[in-house]
Amino acid sequence: MASLCKVMINVSSRSSLPPKQCVFATLRSLYSSDASGGDDKHTERPKSGFAAAYNLHSDLQQSGERRMMSPREESSFPALLRQSVLLQMGPAKGKIAIGKIFHIVNDDLYVDFGGKFHCVCKRPAVDGEKYQRGSKVRLRLEDLELTSRFLGATTDTTLLEAEATLLGLLEGKPKE
Amino acid sequence: MAAGVLTRVRQALRGPRLAAALFSCHGQTLSSAAAAVHSPAAATIETDATDKILNFPLTQPDYFHLSELFSMKDLFDARVHLGHKKGCRHALMEPYLFGCRLDMDIIDLEQTVDHLQRALNFTAHVAFRGGVVLFVSRRRQFAHLVETTARDCGEYAHTRYWKGGLLTNAPIQYNPGVRLPDLIVFLSTLNNVFREHVGIRDAAKMNIPTVGIVDSNCNPSLISYPVPGNDDTPAAMELYCRLFKMTIKRAKDKRRQMELLKGI
Repeated sequence: MASLCKVMINVSSRSSLPPKQCVFATLRSLYSSDASGGDDKHTERPKSGFAAAYNLHSDLQQSGERRMMSPREESSFPALLRQSVLLQMGPAKGKIAIGKIFHIVNDDLYVDFGGKFHCVCKRPAVDGEKYQRGSKVRLRLEDLELTSRFLGATTDTTLLEAEATLLGLLEGKPKE
Repeated sequence: MAAGVLTRVRQALRGPRLAAALFSCHGQTLSSAAAAVHSPAAATIETDATDKILNFPLTQPDYFHLSELFSMKDLFDARVHLGHKKGCRHALMEPYLFGCRLDMDIIDLEQTVDHLQRALNFTAHVAFRGGVVLFVSRRRQFAHLVETTARDCGEYAHTRYWKGGLLTNAPIQYNPGVRLPDLIVFLSTLNNVFREHVGIRDAAKMNIPTVGIVDSNCNPSLISYPVPGNDDTPAAMELYCRLFKMTIKRAKDKRRQMELLKGI
């Protein structure tokens, strides 16, 4: 049993919490098998040593989590930013997004996908008439803002536009 | 050219109303000037009431309860925190930035909430005291929005080409008795070639306070009440226009209400 405990403790020290739980479960089963007296005798005995330390640690962790997820924290700017889709997405290159057409000039479709700028796409040859103001389309994003530093300039020149490739209309029934 | 004529016509229309406002600011209406000769006591009561209307709101930090008009979540949903790319950043905007993520600047909304609150409060006090507010923006995408906002709250807008001496040479370009705006609100501080709008410098020269939405590529110096925020997304611009319209309407309604109470 001593060798078994040593092995389990080594495993748990290298990895995270779940092995500790199974260690505790193993130890508890071992103790309960050793204490062949009544169950009430086992529950009345105050927990000591590893059991007490584990209880204290889990209580502290739960109270810490509760403090972190208070409503005031959830609506703070860093929390809002961290949970925003734009940040969770990561680099924009190659990501698929859903946009809405908000303006049309002949064959140019101005699509807003939730970033700072809109993107301008050419009306595709297939199903061209279906692209009207308000239709949802699928885009593959390339860049969130088209900027470039030219020779002799102090700041970048920006086109005030994003770049994306039009993949097609949004398939499937819209969720009401 | 047409815009200049339009401004002049509007300023002429503003004249009579302004005359009444000026008189009330000095604490004596035309009617009380005659009455003062007969009853000095009535005149002192008039001046006390007018003083209370003019001085009491200045002692309160948020007299018009403008903090209930917007929250940080509203600003976040309107994408006010999104800035330009790192290469477009203006050095003086760095204190207002939260950070830079994948080359995109993020504006610190906690500072923006504070600055926007101050700017709206100032606008409300100016409108309360009968001041002329001029909305300026050279973004052609939002020119119509800015003009309709100004018309809806009874103020003025200038979203066309800014002629050289519009503020600095006004007595000669228009008539000698022209009244200049008491507050200029820049909904975008850049002109069409990404340089500072001439109106910022001219307003500073003429001692006219300015409120300006400064993006991460704008220069916030010379603006009295800068508001760091996004000025490129339609959602953000609609939010600003709605907020300014509501503050000015609220302030003017409050003034009208207090005048009526004083009359009773």
